[in-house]
Amino acid sequence: MLKNLALLCCTAVLSACGASSLVVSGDYPTPNVGQIPLTLGVYYDEELRNFTYVEYSETGKEEYQIASGQTHIELFDTVLPAMFERVVVLNDLNAATAARVDAVFAPSIEEFQLALPQKTRLDSYEVWVKYNMRLLGPRGDYIADWVMTSYGKTPLATLRSTDAGINDATVGALRDLGSSFALSFGSVPEVREWLAAQQ
Amino acid sequence: MNYADAAMKGAKRNALQVGLLVLVAVVLAACTTTTVDEFRQGETGIESHESVVILGRRQGSSYETREEFVDCVGDKVARGARGIRVIPEKEFIDSMFPWFEPRTAPLRTSDLQTLMEEQLVADKIAEYGIRYIIWLDGQTETTNRAGSISCAVGPGGGGCFGFGSWEDDSNFDARVWDVSSFSNVGTISTDATGQSYVPAVVVPIPLIARVEANACNSLASQLQQFVNGD
Repeated sequence: MLKNLALLCCTAVLSACGASSLVVSGDYPTPNVGQIPLTLGVYYDEELRNFTYVEYSETGKEEYQIASGQTHIELFDTVLPAMFERVVVLNDLNAATAARVDAVFAPSIEEFQLALPQKTRLDSYEVWVKYNMRLLGPRGDYIADWVMTSYGKTPLATLRSTDAGINDATVGALRDLGSSFALSFGSVPEVREWLAAQQ
Repeated sequence: MNYADAAMKGAKRNALQVGLLVLVAVVLAACTTTTVDEFRQGETGIESHESVVILGRRQGSSYETREEFVDCVGDKVARGARGIRVIPEKEFIDSMFPWFEPRTAPLRTSDLQTLMEEQLVADKIAEYGIRYIIWLDGQTETTNRAGSISCAVGPGGGGCFGFGSWEDDSNFDARVWDVSSFSNVGTISTDATGQSYVPAVVVPIPLIARVEANACNSLASQLQQFVNGD
């Protein structure tokens, strides 16, 4: 009994010193956009699947570990089927030809920034993400490569925990990505040319 | 005088003291001034099968209109004998995704006209029967914080002593867009200010001015009349 209590105390003390872990979760609506009559392969690499951002304190200690890879995949899995007639998730880029896709979309996160109210002295949690979007042919040949940024913020509120603030700001940034991706996809010059060539 | 009379007198005195305290609290807490301005630019009116949607502006970098305030105005506009059917903000924004997000929402009525050329958008708006889109823009700011309260706890008990006060200022604009004519038919502005106090003699007594709640009530009542064309 005493041993268990001591162990519990040690765990509590140690966990208070460690970084706080957060797995971002959110719901994303299906976009109301015209569907492109093509089959798109989508490839989520390991880096995206396991993407975790680490926020450090001013003394250099790990403060927050924010895992947002899975929620990014949920976002793309919601947005892409609304944009394309058929979407095939590929586990390997080499499987694209066999899957008879017209192109392969491979998103990646280049940068993730978090602004916490306790550091910025502002009244909101803010998240800014920079992405690299790649569109490849079924054989891996280049079609388009472009950069997108997204931004989300959520106000500081009484009774809202820091974890909830970070989660909501990240989900806001992902909604921003989903909306601008769905609306601007056909406007990327190389993508526009490729779409015109498919008709 | 018997024991029952003395107890009755004591109870009456206590009730009087409590009543006086409540009265003072109500008077002090009600120190809120609200001003509502209406600027009408077109005729309004709504049929029973039509609805409105009330949306918060969230494009500004320094502030964003709080969801809670938008919900409060929506609830009040929908109430009463002249209540209007209000589509909840979250439901509308989700079902219109990606067209009413902070970065993509129409800022002018001309943008709305362009947006309605998208068949999917026009169909959704028609499905909801939306006649007016009402944009709420504003915030509540707290200023003039003064005073301090100290609290202490000892073996014999604890208590607080001091006095704190602050001023809240709510400023909100409601722009009413007529979806049938793609025009701004009017703007209603509300400005509510109030001073809150927290005197503390052993126990802190918060006397809070309900500034944002008053701004919500005034704005909602004026909006209801405006949309109904009263």
